[in-house]
Amino acid sequence: MVSTSLTQRIPGQFQRLPQSRATVGYLVGGWAAIAVYFTLAPHAQSVLFVGIGLSAVTAIVIGAARKPRIARLPWHLFSAGILCQVVADAISGYYEIHLNREPPLPSAADAFYLSGYPLLVLGIVVLVRRLGGQAGRAALLDTIIVAVAVATVQWIFFVEAYIREALPLGARIADIAYPSMDVLLLVAFSQLLVGPSGRAAAYRLLVISVALWLIGDEVYGLSSSTYVAGGWLDTFWLGSYVVWGAAALEPSPLPFEFRDRRTIPRLTPARLTLLAAALLTMPSVLLIERTEHHHIHALIAAAGGAGIGVLVLFRLVDLVRAVEGARASERIALQDAEQSQRQLEEQNDRLREVDRLKDEFVSSISHELRTPLTSISGYVELLMEDEKDTEKSEYLDIVDRNATRLLGLVSDMLFAARMQSGQFDLRTEPVDLRLIVGQIVDSIRPEAEAADVDLRVHEAGVIPEINGERDRLAQLFDNLLSNAIKFTPRGGQVDISLGGTNGKAVIEVTDTGIGISDEERSHLFERFFRTQVVLDRQIPGTGLGLYISKAIVEAHGGQIAVRSVEGKGTTFVVELPSVVATHD
Amino acid sequence: MTDSPLILCADDDEDILALVALRLERAGFRVVRATNGESALSLARERRPSVAVLDVMMPRLTGIEVIRELRADPATQGLRTILLSARVQESDIGHGLDAGADAYLAKPFRAPELVALVQKLLAEPS
Repeated sequence: MVSTSLTQRIPGQFQRLPQSRATVGYLVGGWAAIAVYFTLAPHAQSVLFVGIGLSAVTAIVIGAARKPRIARLPWHLFSAGILCQVVADAISGYYEIHLNREPPLPSAADAFYLSGYPLLVLGIVVLVRRLGGQAGRAALLDTIIVAVAVATVQWIFFVEAYIREALPLGARIADIAYPSMDVLLLVAFSQLLVGPSGRAAAYRLLVISVALWLIGDEVYGLSSSTYVAGGWLDTFWLGSYVVWGAAALEPSPLPFEFRDRRTIPRLTPARLTLLAAALLTMPSVLLIERTEHHHIHALIAAAGGAGIGVLVLFRLVDLVRAVEGARASERIALQDAEQSQRQLEEQNDRLREVDRLKDEFVSSISHELRTPLTSISGYVELLMEDEKDTEKSEYLDIVDRNATRLLGLVSDMLFAARMQSGQFDLRTEPVDLRLIVGQIVDSIRPEAEAADVDLRVHEAGVIPEINGERDRLAQLFDNLLSNAIKFTPRGGQVDISLGGTNGKAVIEVTDTGIGISDEERSHLFERFFRTQVVLDRQIPGTGLGLYISKAIVEAHGGQIAVRSVEGKGTTFVVELPSVVATHD
Repeated sequence: MTDSPLILCADDDEDILALVALRLERAGFRVVRATNGESALSLARERRPSVAVLDVMMPRLTGIEVIRELRADPATQGLRTILLSARVQESDIGHGLDAGADAYLAKPFRAPELVALVQKLLAEPS
């Protein structure tokens, strides 16, 4: 499940824009409410502010309930975090409406505001980790680099001013706590930015909502003295509520079983930009302070810069080690490949040797079988020439026929063995099929006459010249005609026809023999295959003839096919490509 | 008979040697016999036959080695040779012809085929 790619599992779910009607409806309604907010009186604004916040909490609760159980925790944390903010808004509103003043610093509102941040940050961290976006030492170092940069900026521009202020301790703590919480949220936001690949609408909405929140906080931090409740700055917090709720309502297209489990984060443009921004933080801070003629925070900037430098060094060390590790792995892989190559070559040598031995063995066996056959055939031939007694001549003829049959068997087996070892090469030349077929028919006619089979030759139209090996083609037609005669009952007929079509020579051998069943026809050209009828009737043969015939035809670039009707007869059709394609 | 061409027959299988010799004698040739390659080579040098019919697989010297020796010797390099063998693979035939044999005849052979081949070689200009 984990290794399956997302696009394969859930095609089309990586939409950039919200697809759910609930999401779109909530977004439209929420932003309409924000627009209305700015038309209201201050008290009504406070009520609507809380109302929009509550609607966001409700949307997040509903959205969480619609997600898989395993995916709900971050959204529960978000709803709790935003609820804290809404309660704080309500307390602030109570002070404004009923007591007609700002809440004191610190107040219960501050406690709720500040307690909401860790919940939201925790929710983001859990979400990103469960989606596999952040894991491993490199990701942790990146996070710390960003955190140091953000914390340094926050300290210089927001925290230190409060430390120097002459306020009661509680108020100073509260003032320092807000920018500190923003540091946490900024770091969490950076993790969202460089988080898991395969961003979907829900994820993008979440990024937007946190961004709106942070903009609101940071602008407030820079201009808290001029902030007016109900002013334009509220757009960011209200917008954040609405977009956060919409993110929750959008169905999550990244179920946790599809999470990205990379242990080393990719150096994506977003990650590189973030790291570059972190590295440029200290020079930028010093430049701003110099340009604005502010007090230069040399010590803090130096500490922050040094911290970031050390962290970058760690990151570089990790990268160098990773590269060295990759090179070592590459060397090992190369050595393995070379060893495999050597083994393969040795194996090839052994196979060649085995092939040579097999060839030698086949050749030797053929030699050993042919040598005694030479004496048998030769002396029988001598006796037949000298024998005057008809009966004895017939006996000698039987011996001669069987010696010839045995020689055919040896030749076929040798031929089949050579084909198996891939040693079947043709010595081709332009040949006239009519001549070859004519010679074979002449030589086989006595056999047909002895079997009382009528053997006929037909020629139709132009017979193309083909490139072929004369002896092999003779062997092919001899095989087909011998088979046809062998399986045709006495009084039957065997026809061989020659013709041409579409640049091919076509030779058909048709008999009125016993035929072949449909089932057996598909096995007919297999080595040593013999039909059941042949086995039952004990018709002699090796089952190699058609196997060899097919090999000869295919070696000539042709095709052989068979048509048959059981009890009626069989036709073998051979097509051989001509030297020059002709059309008749 | 003394004017008829002399044929050297060499085969380590005495039955086949006798058969080949008998066939050639019946066809009117004179025959000299050898049962191994070495004696075949000696007889070829001594008796200067018109044609040598040599088995391939013979002890001491194979038929192919005999042909190489004959071809290397100016005195015998024009001798017509037929390799008669039960080794019938294309590679075997190729080796034999490459060594300088004029013809390669597979065992078992038909007598008319052998006689016709000898006559054909005798008829060709050396």
